[in-house]
Amino acid sequence: MHQEKGIWVSTEELNQEESFLQSAEKEFVMEDLVDSDGAWTANRRDFLKMLGFGLGAATIAASCEIPMKRAVPYVTKPEEIVPGVANYYASSFVNGGDYCAVLVKTREGRPIKIEGNTLSKVTQGGTSARAQASVLDLYNTRRIQSPGSISNGELTEMDWNQLDEKVKGQLALGGQVRIITNTILSPTAKKALGEFTAKYPNARVVSYDPVSSAALLSANEQCFGVKAIPSNKFDEANVIVSFGADFLGTWISPVEYARAYAKGRKVDPKNPRMSRHYQVESHMSLTGSNADNRILVKPSEQGAAICALYNAVAALKGAASISGPAVNDKAAAALKKVARELVDNQGKSLVVSGSNNIMEQVITNKLNDLLGNLNQTVDFGTLSYQRQGDERDVMRVVEEMKQGQVGLAIIWGANPAYELPNAEAFVEAFSKVNTRISFNGVMDETTKVCTHAAPANHFLESWGDAEPKEGHLSLIQPTISPLFNTRQAELSLLLWAESANLNLEDEQPYYQYLKSNWASDVFAKQTAYSTPTAFWDMSLHDGIVELPASGRTVSFNEGASLNGSAVSKPGSSDVEISMYETVNLGNGSYAHNPWLQEMPDPINRTVWGNHLNIPVEWDGVNKINGWKDLNDGDNVEVTVNGKGVTCTVVKTFGQMPGTVSIALGQGRIEGGCGVGYGVNANPWLPVTGGLVQYGAGDVTVGEKVGEDKHFACVQHHHTMGVTAMSTKEEAVVNADEKVIGMDGSLTDRSVIFQASLASLPALQEKMNEFHEESDHLNQQTLYPDRTDYFGTGVKWGMFVDLSSCIGCGACQVACVSENNVPVVGKNEVKRHHEMTWLRIDRYFYGDLENPNVVYQPMMCQHCDNAPCENVCPVNATNHSMEGINQMAYNRCIGTRYCANNCPFKVRRFNWLDYTTADTWPANEEQVFWVEGEDKPYYADNLVRMVLNPDVTVRSRGVIEKCSFCVQRIQEGKLTAKSEERAIGDNDIRTACQTACPTGAIVFGNMNNADSEVNQKIEGAGVLAYQALEEINVRPGVRYAAKINNRNEELNS
Amino acid sequence: MSQAVAPVRHVLIEGNKSYHNITEDLCTPTEKAPSREWIIAFTLAAALAGLYVFSVVWTIWKGIGSWNLNRTINWGWDITNFVWWIGIGHAGTLISAILLLFRQRWRTGVNRSAEAMTIFAVICAGQFPLIHMGRLWLGFFIFPFPNTRGPLWVNFNSPLLWDVFAISTYFSVSLLFWYTGLVPDLATVRDRASGLRRKLYETFSFGWTGSAKHWQRWESLSLILAGISTPLVLSVHTIVSFDFATSVIPGWHTTIFPPYFVAGAIFSGFAMVQTLMVIARKVLKLEEYITLNHIDSMNKVIVLTGTIVGVAYLTELFIAWYSGYIYEQFAFYNRVFGVYWWSYFGMMFCNVVSPQLFWSRKIRRSIWWTFFLSIVVNIGMWFERFVIIATTLARDYIPSSWSYYSPTWVEICIFMGTIGLFFVLFLGFTRIAPVVAIAEVKAILKVAGDQYVGPKANQAHGKTEDVKKED
Repeated sequence: MHQEKGIWVSTEELNQEESFLQSAEKEFVMEDLVDSDGAWTANRRDFLKMLGFGLGAATIAASCEIPMKRAVPYVTKPEEIVPGVANYYASSFVNGGDYCAVLVKTREGRPIKIEGNTLSKVTQGGTSARAQASVLDLYNTRRIQSPGSISNGELTEMDWNQLDEKVKGQLALGGQVRIITNTILSPTAKKALGEFTAKYPNARVVSYDPVSSAALLSANEQCFGVKAIPSNKFDEANVIVSFGADFLGTWISPVEYARAYAKGRKVDPKNPRMSRHYQVESHMSLTGSNADNRILVKPSEQGAAICALYNAVAALKGAASISGPAVNDKAAAALKKVARELVDNQGKSLVVSGSNNIMEQVITNKLNDLLGNLNQTVDFGTLSYQRQGDERDVMRVVEEMKQGQVGLAIIWGANPAYELPNAEAFVEAFSKVNTRISFNGVMDETTKVCTHAAPANHFLESWGDAEPKEGHLSLIQPTISPLFNTRQAELSLLLWAESANLNLEDEQPYYQYLKSNWASDVFAKQTAYSTPTAFWDMSLHDGIVELPASGRTVSFNEGASLNGSAVSKPGSSDVEISMYETVNLGNGSYAHNPWLQEMPDPINRTVWGNHLNIPVEWDGVNKINGWKDLNDGDNVEVTVNGKGVTCTVVKTFGQMPGTVSIALGQGRIEGGCGVGYGVNANPWLPVTGGLVQYGAGDVTVGEKVGEDKHFACVQHHHTMGVTAMSTKEEAVVNADEKVIGMDGSLTDRSVIFQASLASLPALQEKMNEFHEESDHLNQQTLYPDRTDYFGTGVKWGMFVDLSSCIGCGACQVACVSENNVPVVGKNEVKRHHEMTWLRIDRYFYGDLENPNVVYQPMMCQHCDNAPCENVCPVNATNHSMEGINQMAYNRCIGTRYCANNCPFKVRRFNWLDYTTADTWPANEEQVFWVEGEDKPYYADNLVRMVLNPDVTVRSRGVIEKCSFCVQRIQEGKLTAKSEERAIGDNDIRTACQTACPTGAIVFGNMNNADSEVNQKIEGAGVLAYQALEEINVRPGVRYAAKINNRNEELNS
Repeated sequence: MSQAVAPVRHVLIEGNKSYHNITEDLCTPTEKAPSREWIIAFTLAAALAGLYVFSVVWTIWKGIGSWNLNRTINWGWDITNFVWWIGIGHAGTLISAILLLFRQRWRTGVNRSAEAMTIFAVICAGQFPLIHMGRLWLGFFIFPFPNTRGPLWVNFNSPLLWDVFAISTYFSVSLLFWYTGLVPDLATVRDRASGLRRKLYETFSFGWTGSAKHWQRWESLSLILAGISTPLVLSVHTIVSFDFATSVIPGWHTTIFPPYFVAGAIFSGFAMVQTLMVIARKVLKLEEYITLNHIDSMNKVIVLTGTIVGVAYLTELFIAWYSGYIYEQFAFYNRVFGVYWWSYFGMMFCNVVSPQLFWSRKIRRSIWWTFFLSIVVNIGMWFERFVIIATTLARDYIPSSWSYYSPTWVEICIFMGTIGLFFVLFLGFTRIAPVVAIAEVKAILKVAGDQYVGPKANQAHGKTEDVKKED
């Protein structure tokens, strides 16, 4: 047979049979499950195959439940919003007299972070913890969400028209109207109030400050004819004496003062000089903790101390002395020496007093006059307006209300039912007012007893302006539409006043009102812009306007007589108490902010509550005891002027023996998450001559009556080498090293270096030796030399100047805000589960009874030989080429070995589901709840709006820590890249760096010799060190040793 | 293994046992219904094991936050228990491997249960590295396997990873060794059993026939495994000690840790063997197999290793002082006089002072003293690990972060639970396999020697054939 094809597969092919040809046409042979008749032809195996596949597919499809997340695109995209790119708007943080020029960072229309506005000459880019935390208040679930009537503390909603009718009806009745406020910084708001009082002549505005400076205002009026506060130039003073004024933390304008103060205390090792700061006080304030010397006087001795200093200065100057009460001998001797120094620095010194006694302030003014400081360091050319209130006015209103004269009371920002010492009397009198309106944002103590709520916007939703200092104006602009049905207080007032200047046809009437006010008022005072529109646009863009200074000078009015008998009299009681405002909570107006509640008190390091600071005592051998043998967390009954409360004590170094102290602002009864923590100390405040005093005698502290089971303090060990007289060795010994147990310590740790300016050469020598020794040790290493590796490209590093750090905590709150660090609540902090990436360690050193303080901001040190990295079994933490120790949260399995092996203990583990990132109901019980809410704090979508979308929210079971704000680094790099240029030195600034009011933290590229961080390190010379330098972990953070200017002769 | 035993040596097995007696004595416990004591003990152990399951589920459900660890002390009872259990395991390996190589023939009385103890202790120990993880469900990340998560690989620098290998190797070798020894004995049990039991034992004894070739191969394998196990005795706890020794934390970062940990491990292991043997010989009526001589010998090991540990403690203190390094000095000062001083003194007393009583022959050979001191030693060794972990972490470089730690009920229950787990396994073992190695014990009978001329000599020799059959 002829073979046509060389190769054939089958006989069918060979024969070219029909069946073969048919099948060859179909390239892919498929056996159908169903035959041509439609009958089922699948056999058992096919069935099982299909079943298996189907079941498998269904299982996979069903088990991979994909959470529904809606990403709704803009229908019409707002012009200025690019998803993923932040917008910054200049605005101002204002709360009563607290002020900060800020930039508000918004993402997709949500404000998420507050930054300082560097254009401001007042705050110069610095911020405070309060300003940093204010963004969280916007998303407070307890905000009043609509106007309404209030009965028994319950709000019944009504619409604005109804409320307006109601108020206008009351106004029409013609009774007395009182508007009770804190200090108002806004010129336009004052104008609105002016229109209101013009329309209703029976109306009067009374303002007071939660912590009063009324005596200072009155004294300045008497002495200088100006009822305002001068600019205190701390940077120009060589000697600063503060009588209880906490000017770095809370007094008048702390951000401004802190910057100036730090400027005067930056030490150039080549030309060492710095200002000297004496603090006269009984409890250790934030300012006192930064002082070179503290002179301890009881609260009632403040007046006597001022007189003593005055007489000492007067004696040197040949001026007449005054006959004041006597201060304790030790203080008297010290003040004599201080007087000498002041006189040596005439015109270059500064005396301030936080007293609320007019005569004490008058004498202080006279002191400055005698020392030639007037118009020098005490500058009336630019007045400070941050404190304008006078509690005597509000006391008068209480009288009027009590007599039933007042028909309408409007509460604006103030909370007199909590803040006033006679809050009970206020509430009783207040109830006699027919209509009581509150503009306050939350249902606080005062709003609760009002008849109507007319909730005002949060400042981030508002238009407004502020004039914190004469000629320094700034604008407030909204960064988000009002979240709730709220209305600006100014607008309400103008509506009720039926203002002719308000155009209700406008979309935002108050905006137009503000703008026209600026066009008519502020525009005229400036010369830089020729048209109001250009002026407005630039002002809004910059957020601030600087008007020419007034150039005012003052002279002391000799008519103001000095009367030593009008100062406060030293008390005779065994124990005295001082009540003070804290840097985080003020007098309670910040108590409902969890970030601020969980920010440790800088001095006693406790959170969530105020504690009775008691002095510590050295037994002369080997023990540091609490006064009366009380311990941290013990509860005691404290009675002040007959009013008793159970307080929790905390042992505090630097508390004067024979005195105790407690912070104001806690023990809130209504309004939010601060309720239920601490005690309210306001009722203890004595009132003398209508002025609230912040110290009291007649104190009894009872025996221990129990313990606070949740006493939460983030630091158990407080000292780094305190010294005391040993009765055994009859010499001054290092008390720290004598103590056994919890308080015992080795004090020569290479963590903190400090010295006084006088012993700077000795310190330099010591540190030189230390660096040499460390270098020697670090050369004996198995680690490869990675100098080349890190020497190329970018190497991120940080510099922290311990001499500049004042411990104010702004950086800590900024870090919490930037990095979505969760709030864990009091009980978890008690268990040392706090999550803060950046903490400020505080150590006492020097004399045990009157120690100095060093603050050390401690964050991940980004070690080049990071001990955490080589112990992680899964490589979850590793080193970037740019020197950053980075965390891959997704890879972390939570062995916590890294946290153990971190010499700095900066790693934080998510012990519980703090962020409610895993929605697992059982996990929501132990995390932070605000009492009365139906879900955990972070589970609320309103609260979650504050989260920074650039930073992962960490889930339970993973470690986290400072990332050097890697999201900012990435943003900076991308910006530089898109602009086709190298990264500039100022492109990337960490959150802590921008928050710092004193510029203590600098971040940058270590490989750039000209970078600020390198310049600073170079400038610090041998004083720059790495913490634990000798253990060869090679931290990326450099500290500069703390230098104080202690006067060693003073306390000897 | 039939070496001659010198007639002058005293007997290792008492009671003039014949081969048959041994088979009877040692197989019977697996064959008859459990005693009341066994049932009570098992019920208690099972209840504790149930508690273990509950508290572990609680931990996983609620998070590690249900423990009292904190930002400063990130390991506490969890890793203390881990090291403690791992240490306990060491006696078994030492007895089976090193003593085998050293021809310490008294070991045969106790090696089977000591090996079982090793395995169960390692099982208990292995729980802790898992449950202490924050995200247990991702625990498989610690294994180096090709994956789809990018170029992610384990970190071979991490001592925790070394642990993974050390412990898994240790467990598998110990298990092999133990099971190899069991095979002839399982065959013995098989030969006496019937029905389903017989079938099961047939499977587990791998068709052992007792042929000379089997015995020869079995002996070779035993020797090889002993050879492999011997370095493990030293390496496992050395690697566990690296968890601490390679860190930078003063008090952990010490080169003495490897030998000190190994000595401590053997110390605690022998104590645990004593605890178990003293009970087992009583309950299972094995006084003639596990004799006072055994107890005496093991007590000698305890006093030796206890003293080594004591020397290590003192060396640490000396070196801390001698180093001139302040952090090291403080760490040890704190260890002795700091907040956890009681655990240091507890450790010193239990581990160093109390074993010295064993210098007295009377105490060494006293059942009650042995039992009591073995418990004391194990408490002491637990303290040692607690001292190393918690005390050190509580006070390291940065004083601001110092903290204190005491466990929650969850942590305590987990620890108690592993004890329950251990006893469930051990009690189960006594019901399933002969607790004394039958084949090996037979080899050391005096009657097995050719030179033997004492009582029952004829009987033993005469029975040889029968006994072989029974095997």
